[in-house]
Amino acid sequence: MTKSDYEEIMQLLCNRLNSLANSEVTITSETNIISELSIDSIKLLNLIMEIEDTFDISIPINALADVQTVHDLASLISRIKSNQ
Amino acid sequence: MSSTIAKLNAPLTQAFDFQPSSELKITPTPTRNILAQQLAGFDTLTNALEYAAQGITGYNFYNAKGHLHSVLPYKLLRNNAHSLAQRLAGFNLARGSRVAIIADTSPEFIELFFACRYAGLIPFAMPVPVNLGSHGIYVQQLRGMLESSQASIAFANLDYVNFLEEATKELINLHWVGTPAQLKELPAKEVMLQPNAPSEVAYLQFTSGSTRTPRGVVITERALMCNLQGIVRNGLEIKPDDRSASWLPFYHDMGLVGLVLAPMVTQLSVDYLATRDFAIRPLQWLRLISRNRCTVAFSQPFGLKLCTMRVRESDLNELDLSCWRAAGIGAEMIRPETLRNFAEKFSSAGFDDSAFLPCYGLAESTLAVTFSKISKGFHSIQVDSKTLVDKRIATTLRAEGRKYNEFVNCGRPLPGHTVKIVDETGQQLDDNMVGSVLVHGASIMTGYYNNPEETRKALKPDNWLDTGDIGFLYDGDLYITGRRTDVIIVNGRNIRAQDIEELAEQQPEIRSREASAFGINDADGATVIVLVIECRLISTAERHSLIKRLQQLVYMAFGVNCVVELVPPHTLPRTSSGKLSRFAARQGYIQRTNLEEQLSVAESGDR
Repeated sequence: MTKSDYEEIMQLLCNRLNSLANSEVTITSETNIISELSIDSIKLLNLIMEIEDTFDISIPINALADVQTVHDLASLISRIKSNQ
Repeated sequence: MSSTIAKLNAPLTQAFDFQPSSELKITPTPTRNILAQQLAGFDTLTNALEYAAQGITGYNFYNAKGHLHSVLPYKLLRNNAHSLAQRLAGFNLARGSRVAIIADTSPEFIELFFACRYAGLIPFAMPVPVNLGSHGIYVQQLRGMLESSQASIAFANLDYVNFLEEATKELINLHWVGTPAQLKELPAKEVMLQPNAPSEVAYLQFTSGSTRTPRGVVITERALMCNLQGIVRNGLEIKPDDRSASWLPFYHDMGLVGLVLAPMVTQLSVDYLATRDFAIRPLQWLRLISRNRCTVAFSQPFGLKLCTMRVRESDLNELDLSCWRAAGIGAEMIRPETLRNFAEKFSSAGFDDSAFLPCYGLAESTLAVTFSKISKGFHSIQVDSKTLVDKRIATTLRAEGRKYNEFVNCGRPLPGHTVKIVDETGQQLDDNMVGSVLVHGASIMTGYYNNPEETRKALKPDNWLDTGDIGFLYDGDLYITGRRTDVIIVNGRNIRAQDIEELAEQQPEIRSREASAFGINDADGATVIVLVIECRLISTAERHSLIKRLQQLVYMAFGVNCVVELVPPHTLPRTSSGKLSRFAARQGYIQRTNLEEQLSVAESGDR
């Protein structure tokens, strides 16, 4: 995984999460997706679909169990991308 | 019985060559069988599989892109299950020992399930982790089920085996944990596989995400065979040219009994899509139905809602759903709008709304209790809201302009089953009166495994099962109006209030009996979970941190957001025995937040 890859993913996630979240939180890599953003399960499914389509990857369901922060999600995506 | 034993044991020599399902030539199993169709009527699961294995139909697994990735004809399933049963026999477990399997939508799960039955062991399906950040709580949930079932062996595919290993650390009863691939490496033991008796337990079905008090429904072969026969003969009127498609998880009763076992006992082919793949791209399910000309497919109302929400006009052009003759709807309360919206959206794709088949059931009654009439679509009645709330009687609307509630007709009980409605004292109520729904019949569970307390609560005298649902009978048909307040349904998931309260009470700041959870409906009719906590913390920062922590815990365990309200000690209403009353807690919350006008009358049966 290259640094720029991660940065690009991070940027995209922040933008998408900003529009999905109801609250006025400033989203950083340490933002907790569960407790700080009220993202319901349907929005989450939409987000995963967008991520999969954008990066042409498949996110395994078991990996999401270890995702709490935006950073967790971004590094998961770049890990899957670089393993392709 | 002797011919059965011979059949069970004769072809063992072939069975040693385990054939992975994915190495087969990749074409789906056909719809038309070479075998005369038998509509259930078998006495055990393994006998049913021995028959199905003589044909060419079976199970097909598709990936997220809709490509077929594994094919498991019943014949191969039988051979692989035999081979695995010989390996399970090497563990020398007592007959009836429990085997835990994390049930992803895979051929391996089904092979293991049947291998257990051939080996005289009791399998049970455990869920896959579905929620963001759920790792810790998921492992606790697995541990709860493993402890409660006193499982001897536990399996998971490679993706999930690390969770299982974590959950099984220091468990005393557990002999072995591994993947199906590891089991295949073990030596086969040459033993005679004994036939199962109808009185033996076929499987356990866990119904709660609780870590402390999991409830494993015990279903015998006899109950299972009885329920399957009712479903395929009376509910669905299965025919030789039927074919099923399903995204329902294998760890739920509707997914396992309805869409794995029911097709097998009628020798039908099934096309599977993993639940996760459906949730992200629901149209893949409809594409499967359209492409493979499937005729029988079930969903919770929430699944239909997802399809309606996600479909684009361009998708409709490529779908032809005219083959779909039985669109079974169950597993949660059915709202007429959900069905109408779906029919409206998909009629241009050939969907015929007479295919709607509302039904009612629960894992404690194997799966199904009532079915509406096949091919007649869904019917509903509009009842006067005021009479419903004030007198708890359902009267059809006589005058225009009165407020009403509309309920979907769930049909009549399967043969050999009876439904009655009772009041709080257990007295049977007349037709049209709203009360608790009780069921009697041969599909009823024997109890919750190793849990006499919960069993006593559910099974009333003379083996009447208290379903926990509220409803009424009208002209002999069952209408469900709501759940008692102990279950909250959000986005199609059944969540027990007790399980949420239990999570809260694990926090050091919260004592036992100081948390109350319930559902309220917001302005859009969506259900929101509210958790009210009696709290002694003074500092704003500490209170804030507790609220955040609770919201996060609930999300990780159940995948839903919740509202947390902190109230002073002694605010929550208690019953005379000191127990919290969720109904009263909910009333209190509604008053405090001025939500009064939104109190749903559908739940007026709650007390």
